[in-house]
Amino acid sequence: MPVSSHELIAGFAEPVAASQQVFRAALKVMSEPGTLVETDYVEQAPKGLDLSTWQLALSLLDPDTRVWLSPTLAANDAVISNLRFHCQCPLVDAPKEADFAIALHNELPDLAELNWGTAEYPDRSTTLLVQVPGLNSAPFWTLSGPGIEQTRTLSIAGLPETFCADLIKSRQRFPLGIDIFWCCGNRLTALPRTTAIKAGMTEPSQNDKETC
Amino acid sequence: MSTATGYNFAYLDEQSKRMIRRAILKGVAIPGYQVPFGGREMPLPHGWGTGGMQVTASVIGEADKLKVIDQGADDTTNAVSIRRFFAHTAGVETTEQTAEATLIQTRHRIPERPLKANQILIYQVPIPEPLRFIEPRESETRKMHALSEYGAMQVKLYEDVARFGHIATSYDYPVMVNNRYMMDPSPIPKFDNPKMSMMPALQLFGAGFEKRIYAVPPFTRVESLDFDDHPFEVQSWEEACAICGSDHSFLDEVITDDNGSKMFVCSDTDYCGDRVAQGFVGSAADLPIAEMETEQ
Repeated sequence: MPVSSHELIAGFAEPVAASQQVFRAALKVMSEPGTLVETDYVEQAPKGLDLSTWQLALSLLDPDTRVWLSPTLAANDAVISNLRFHCQCPLVDAPKEADFAIALHNELPDLAELNWGTAEYPDRSTTLLVQVPGLNSAPFWTLSGPGIEQTRTLSIAGLPETFCADLIKSRQRFPLGIDIFWCCGNRLTALPRTTAIKAGMTEPSQNDKETC
Repeated sequence: MSTATGYNFAYLDEQSKRMIRRAILKGVAIPGYQVPFGGREMPLPHGWGTGGMQVTASVIGEADKLKVIDQGADDTTNAVSIRRFFAHTAGVETTEQTAEATLIQTRHRIPERPLKANQILIYQVPIPEPLRFIEPRESETRKMHALSEYGAMQVKLYEDVARFGHIATSYDYPVMVNNRYMMDPSPIPKFDNPKMSMMPALQLFGAGFEKRIYAVPPFTRVESLDFDDHPFEVQSWEEACAICGSDHSFLDEVITDDNGSKMFVCSDTDYCGDRVAQGFVGSAADLPIAEMETEQ
């Protein structure tokens, strides 16, 4: 699909400084899983992408990263055109071939469909970026593991139950696994494969004041 | 802003930084696992901290305050050159004070002052593979890590016990990270090993020659290998620092004349200077060398 120039929007105003700042936010949430961070280095994102998803894409994607998009995003001219123009990342059809997969919360691929890496090279796994309708620190999930002193709580709205169950179970296969960035508006957090998740009793609410 | 013209911010081009940043994120997600990366040429030879510099260049921003130490000292050639390099190419503020720094690049020491959350410690690593001297083939060590097959290292430590009666490895002492990966902590003295465990700061490791990056996230368990009947122990000294009198820091032995006279001083110059400023004095306070240190 060619780039539609009328869909193009501006990227970072100061690409060098903003890429670094967004990376530091990504590093913060990946090394302290479940911490919520807000990034504001762009004014708008291509229609269909959240601000935080778009900023992560601008900061981390380039011609060396194969990207898979969930169906709605893959059919979205604005998303594709801007990714091609700003990141020049090749788009792939199979999630297994992707270094990065970007998915909407209701179009998540099965975890098994992604690349988990190999025993010798667990780093060759797919990194998943998920756009969710709500992201806050309400105690729905209790997290523990590296980067968390005791425990930390996190609530993610709109996730299918089977996906949550698969994610919790996937920890048994460490060091293989999928690292996930969760994006909601300008808000961002991450759960690397090391974070143990304990499901809570309450459902995460999308109408919570705390949601973004 | 950068004060050097003709170079990108912090020397490396943006695409190289992105590649290194992605490797750092993977390293953080798999604590202790060595992530291969496309090591770049830096304007100084391998062995002078090019791995640490590439990590620093990819992490550093205009708001950061950088400290660089070499064997604990801020004022040795390697530390001074690297600090000036980033002051020149990234225009960042530099400091010698551990508490003030947001990024600390280090060769072979962890500062005495406990590190805090939101600080990042970046180690320069010569040989990232702890098993390399036991098994020279990369294909084999990869498998050993994949299978958690670390018995060979226990045998090596046991050989120390058999020969010397104790574990004689005193630096580069192997650790287990998060109970899964065996990791080379870089040639820090084993005195510093306990500081790595549950440290509130993020620890990143860069090996330029071997092109590997690895990491220990904050609050991650790092355990030094040992045996039930030969538990891990750190070095201790009968002497105290001759300048500040510290009896709990890592000491360097300094030969002071041709007759074999010697003194022991803190290897961490910032820590020692801080203590002197607070009024602590050592046994050599009246010697000219101590006066020189105090004046600085």
